[in-house]
This record gives sequence, C-alpha cells and structure tokens, in this order.
Amino acid sequence: MHLPHSTLKQEFVKKWIMGLQRCKFSNKKMSIFERKKAIKLSADTAMASARKGLTCWSRALISNPDRPVPTTTRRASSACKKIVKRSRRIRRTAKCGAARKGQITRSIAQCLVRKRTQILKSLIPGGEFMNEVCLIEETLDYITSLRVQVDVMRSLASASARASEPHN
Amino acid sequence: MSSRRSSSRQSTGGVSRISDDQIIALVSKLRHLLPEIRDNRSDKVSASKVLQETCNYIRSLHKEVEDLSDRLFQLLATIDADGAEAAIIRSLLM
Repeated sequence: MHLPHSTLKQEFVKKWIMGLQRCKFSNKKMSIFERKKAIKLSADTAMASARKGLTCWSRALISNPDRPVPTTTRRASSACKKIVKRSRRIRRTAKCGAARKGQITRSIAQCLVRKRTQILKSLIPGGEFMNEVCLIEETLDYITSLRVQVDVMRSLASASARASEPHN
Repeated sequence: MSSRRSSSRQSTGGVSRISDDQIIALVSKLRHLLPEIRDNRSDKVSASKVLQETCNYIRSLHKEVEDLSDRLFQLLATIDADGAEAAIIRSLLM
C-alpha cells in the first residue's frame, strides 16, 4: 500500500495539472480569494486522488475538501499542559507510596495518550471515524502524501520564481 | 474492516486505546520521518510523545501548504501567457 516517493510524486503532478487546467476555464469569473483557494483545493484534491481511493483519508478529503481547520487544539493543549504539570507535582511529592505513584503516573499517561489521539483524529481527514489501528496506518500514509505535496509545490514555487526573474 | 476492529478490541481488552505493540510499530516507521524522534537514540519513546510530535509535524506541513499556496498564487499571477506556465509545469516532469 505504501508507494515510493517518486511514484507518488508523479501521480500527484499528473493529477494536479489536470485539476489546474480545469480551473483555467473559469479564471475570468473568479475573485482573487477564490483563485487563491483554488490552488490549495486543486493541490489537496490531487494529493488525495493520487492514492486512487486506497486510503480512508484520501476518500474523506475528496468528499469534503473544504473541511475547517480544527480549533479545539488550544483547549486540548492547555488540558495536556495541566496534566503534565500535575504529573510533575505528584512525582515530586515524597509522601506518595511508590506503587500509588506508579498508578497515578500510568493513568496520567493514559489520559495524555487519549487526549493526543483525539487531536490526531481531528487532524487526519476522516479521522474521527477510524479505530486506533486504522488511524496509525492512515497517519503514516497521510504524512507521506503531505511531504510529496509540499515537495512538488516548493519545486513549482522556485521554478516560477526563477521564471519571473528578468533575464540579463 | 470488521475483522480488524474485532482484533483491536481483543488486544486492548475492550478499551479503545493504542496498544504498546502498535506504538512500537508506529515509532519505528515515524523514526524515519520525524527528526525529533530520529535523534533520540533510545528505544523507549513514550506513546504520548510520539503522538504529540506527529500532531505537531502534521500541523507544520499544513501550514507550509497554506504558505506555498499563497506564494504560488502571487508568483503565477505575475507570469504572463499560458505558454510560460505550461513550460514550467513540463519542466517539473523531467
């Protein structure tokens, strides 16, 4: 299921060109904001369709490309900070018995894992519907695809920057 | 899909949690992707740390895509004619 970087890159470029060509026809009627969004939208759709429906995240992204960026992260991260502070305070307290301390830090660790799993689920498209096993595999695939997307977009940006420089 | 679900229930005793074996598998794969964990030589990396680094990394990738989209919009707007744009995209394929 995991494709090599170069194969994924070629698939992504192919799909992105197709998407961008379709955008061109409606160029004259689009506002600047819409055109900006179109670049990211076409890149995300190309990244997802390059996986050819083999992964959950790609199917979720294609069916809902405009999903809002999760805003709960600040609340969750401040909750995590409170948990970490509490665990440090408990470890410093000498009065707790060793076994009890171990129990407390274990349950705090479990709480942290649960909270961070929730955050991860909110970051992966379609993550809220996945079980833990699926989530891990999908995360790895999603990260690989994101890296390809960033790689190609960076190359295009530097090539465009070079092309727009005046020739001496 | 259902067999995967039932096997995860058995391994975690009915509680939906990531098991240690799954974390070890994730760490070994993520090790190649995340610089923070790659530099940490010890095998004992906590599950919550791995999850945190993964989330941070995904967020940074998202941000980079946003910034690159904005930059591309500005750059492509300054290039005239379809011929030049097509040539650039073609050069990516070589």
